[in-house]
Amino acid sequence: MTVSIINRIITERPTHDGSLTVTGLGHRTTVPLSAFHDRARAVAAALGRRGIGAGDRIGILSANRLEWVLLDIAALMLGAQTAGFEPGKFSPDADLVERYGLDALYTDARLPDDAPSGVLSISAVADYAEEDTDGFEPEQWAATQCTTVKFTSGSTGVPKGLEATVGSIDSSLHAVQSLFAHRPGDDILTFLPLSLLQQRYWLYSALYWGHDITITTYQSVFAVLPSVRPTVVMGVPAFFDTAKRHIEGVIAGGVEPAEAAAELFGDRIRYLWTGSAPADPATLGFYGEVGLAIFEGYGLNETCIATKNHPGAHREGSVGRALPGKEIVIDDEGIVCVRSDHPVNTAYTYAASGDSERMFRPGGIVRTGDLGRLDEDGFLYILGRSDDVIVLDNAKKIIVRPIETRFRDTGAVAECVAYHPSQAGLVAVVSPHPGPVDTAAIGEALAAVNAASERDERIIRVIVADEPFTVEGGLLTSQFKPIRKRIADRYRDRLDNPKAGILVH
Amino acid sequence: MSTDLDALARQTLSRVLRDHPDPASLDLGENLVETYGITSLNKVLFLTSLCRAADIGLDNFTEDDLAGMRTLGNVVDALRPHAPVKG
Repeated sequence: MTVSIINRIITERPTHDGSLTVTGLGHRTTVPLSAFHDRARAVAAALGRRGIGAGDRIGILSANRLEWVLLDIAALMLGAQTAGFEPGKFSPDADLVERYGLDALYTDARLPDDAPSGVLSISAVADYAEEDTDGFEPEQWAATQCTTVKFTSGSTGVPKGLEATVGSIDSSLHAVQSLFAHRPGDDILTFLPLSLLQQRYWLYSALYWGHDITITTYQSVFAVLPSVRPTVVMGVPAFFDTAKRHIEGVIAGGVEPAEAAAELFGDRIRYLWTGSAPADPATLGFYGEVGLAIFEGYGLNETCIATKNHPGAHREGSVGRALPGKEIVIDDEGIVCVRSDHPVNTAYTYAASGDSERMFRPGGIVRTGDLGRLDEDGFLYILGRSDDVIVLDNAKKIIVRPIETRFRDTGAVAECVAYHPSQAGLVAVVSPHPGPVDTAAIGEALAAVNAASERDERIIRVIVADEPFTVEGGLLTSQFKPIRKRIADRYRDRLDNPKAGILVH
Repeated sequence: MSTDLDALARQTLSRVLRDHPDPASLDLGENLVETYGITSLNKVLFLTSLCRAADIGLDNFTEDDLAGMRTLGNVVDALRPHAPVKG
């Protein structure tokens, strides 16, 4: 790695023609990245005048908007850390300020009457951007310094906080660029919360390599996609599943597949990016059939992106090969371990006792907890989570993920999470598709899943969730992954009741 | 036009729902999320499809408007002022 992208983008005003568009239902703002850089510098100067400087921490609790990224780049220029909080999961109160040591907190939420003095409306940042830069000059970062605190999606309890090093960000950006060659003319569309550091990577990439970037929200993404006409869409499997069902409906109405896909995604797609959760093979296959390349990858908050399929090396069913700067090792228990030349970090900043030791190992290694295998050419295949492995009383180990995928692939349910509440067998909680629940279809799917499973892998009961799993309902992460523990907690009574649900006859 | 928009909204929602129920059976007063299980992503797809079918510009609406469209009736009411007048 030769150049620090982070240091370059904060010190050098872009000379390329790349632009930033922030859009949603009913609004669209496009700013040349050079002008955006000027505004971020003005925001940095304004923050400096308000007492924020190097080593301070700025909290951001807001939906995606222009001020979010202005604050992010301004903080980088100041040498201050950001802490991105996912809207809906945190409140802008004194507890948040104190717990995470915030020197300021900007939010789009309504300010409580007793809000501490450092809690401010994020709309103020737009005014900062109009202020004088007063000769402000950006700081520089060392590779081991941390620009931001990111929080895990929180599959259990309180989200863990992890600071990310500049070296890891630079390394990931260089590695991804070596695979996909983003360039002027590209427009990368992101809609997941900017509190997820990886979503901000595409802004850093745009500032450095001169492509365009469009930021929207998941509430608006399908509305703006056709008119934005992006070349790359960053999504998660649930997003692409939903789009697939929509396109299939349009095709069923007599529209040509490629035309139906272009009607939703626009007509300039170069490729689709998916990760963060296992993609349904049927979904990946579908996009290939309608002429849209889709590439799945693998990584955790703790590793950043570790493997990725890409145009030069793509193997179906795999999550790709290790990125430059990463090494994948499968340990004696079959667990995927990721070694990084530039680790994200070596410990959590905020976590329960023992969490860091379980995840981080010496030598820049993260033990992911996922089960996997490498093929002879280094492509990684994820088999399941080690904590999703159920050990039966006959000592047989069952990996539930393939069973859950099999159920989902029947098309009868949107999601499936399997548990083993007793030695009687597996019990699945399924998320229905929107609309009336078709119990008969789910029963038929259950029979089909069991027919394709070994005896010990059969599901003896299915509990149909009262409503589809959603982010808002607290049963999906912001990246649309089912939150196993919360789903179990929500349906505990029925999981433990041997007569509840759809029973195998 | 209001009758057309009603019918179009029912047809479009029916297509979004997995089992494609009879459009006439859909209740304008029922909650799209609680009764029909529409997710955020599906809701905006539904609105996008309906606006396209009704020749209404999506840019007439904001995310707040979308959040306020809790029932099919809310959707129809929100779209109606923007529906083109048939000549």
